[in-house]
Amino acid sequence: MPQARDRTSDQELLSRARAGDAEAFRVIFHREAPAVRRFLGDLLRDDSAADEGTQETFVRAHQRLGTLQQAEKLQSWLFGIARMVFFEHLRRKRRDAVPQDSGDPVEIDRAPGPEEVLLASEADQVLDGALATLSQERRAALVLRLDHGLGYPEIAETMGWSLQKVKNEIHRARLQLRQRLQAYLEGAA
Amino acid sequence: MSGHVPLEEMEALALGELEPAPAKEIEAHAGSCAACARELALIRAEQGLFARRSQPSIDALWPGVAARIAREPRIHRPHWARRIALAAAGAAAAAALLFALRPAAVRAPLAQEAAASESKRAIADALATLDRAEADYRRAAVVLESEYAAARKNLDPELARRCDETLARARSNLGDARTLAAQDVNARLRVLEGYAGYLRSLRSVVEQSQEANP
Repeated sequence: MPQARDRTSDQELLSRARAGDAEAFRVIFHREAPAVRRFLGDLLRDDSAADEGTQETFVRAHQRLGTLQQAEKLQSWLFGIARMVFFEHLRRKRRDAVPQDSGDPVEIDRAPGPEEVLLASEADQVLDGALATLSQERRAALVLRLDHGLGYPEIAETMGWSLQKVKNEIHRARLQLRQRLQAYLEGAA
Repeated sequence: MSGHVPLEEMEALALGELEPAPAKEIEAHAGSCAACARELALIRAEQGLFARRSQPSIDALWPGVAARIAREPRIHRPHWARRIALAAAGAAAAAALLFALRPAAVRAPLAQEAAASESKRAIADALATLDRAEADYRRAAVVLESEYAAARKNLDPELARRCDETLARARSNLGDARTLAAQDVNARLRVLEGYAGYLRSLRSVVEQSQEANP
């Protein structure tokens, strides 16, 4: 469930960070990085790449703080940067000719290792395989809505899509997700 | 409430985004509509799954970010940003002057010849000011268009396609508005707003291009 955010505090922190206050930026990082890391984890499906992508996102955000005018858009602005970092990661992988996620829906039946079984929550395990069946863009839109609580207009801005496309993609993503999770959701509902 | 509740409203309810009154109304409807009750339960089950996911630890990531930030050279505004700032300042000044002139330009003359003549002169001044403001915006657009053209060839094709579409849409809207405006002061003012929107679109695609090609 998305939590209410202290926008006044966001504004104050941003002003201080823009003025060069490193502590203010550290607070912003600790507040926002978990969501950015989870978003990149969902897109990249690689913990190490998601960690690196999160760092890269915040380094770029720091360089570009002056371009963010509205504190209330901080989170969607960060997701937008993270999305660009994700695309670059894909492009690098393509250049290096490493097998990659083509962006097409794939059927992944990844069996969790013993450590994962011990550590991962039931929700992680249930969602992991289901999200992998969605295309990257559709997955991004769905997690921005359901996991990060962004509104449809914010998602449209982050993804560079029309509002209608956001609605369509999230609707289709939900149908795919339900197909995969039918038994679980019916049991939970 | 007649019919079924739209999916997006039920989603907003499950995410805790609705005010108490509409939330209560949807809950009440779901109490008597099996289809909506089922849909709401499914959405809540999905939402519950996402909410229960484990939080990745980010503590180990901050030192790396801090070290890179500390090594950052002094932040320079891109050269185009400075040029845009100058052009935008010119346009803003022109627009401000225009607003100062505008009341005289649009005030209904009180059937006095002197007032009519003054009004005519004021409109001519306003149009000249609008021409200057438009010229400033056009210069700013040329700078950004060349920045985008330089960065575009290295862009991901899908991103480039989306950027092209955004710009084409903005240009088309602007062109239509400019043609319709002719010499109407109020319409020309709206065209200036259109230019500002086009510049924002351009700035956005240039920033995206630069983020994609650091």
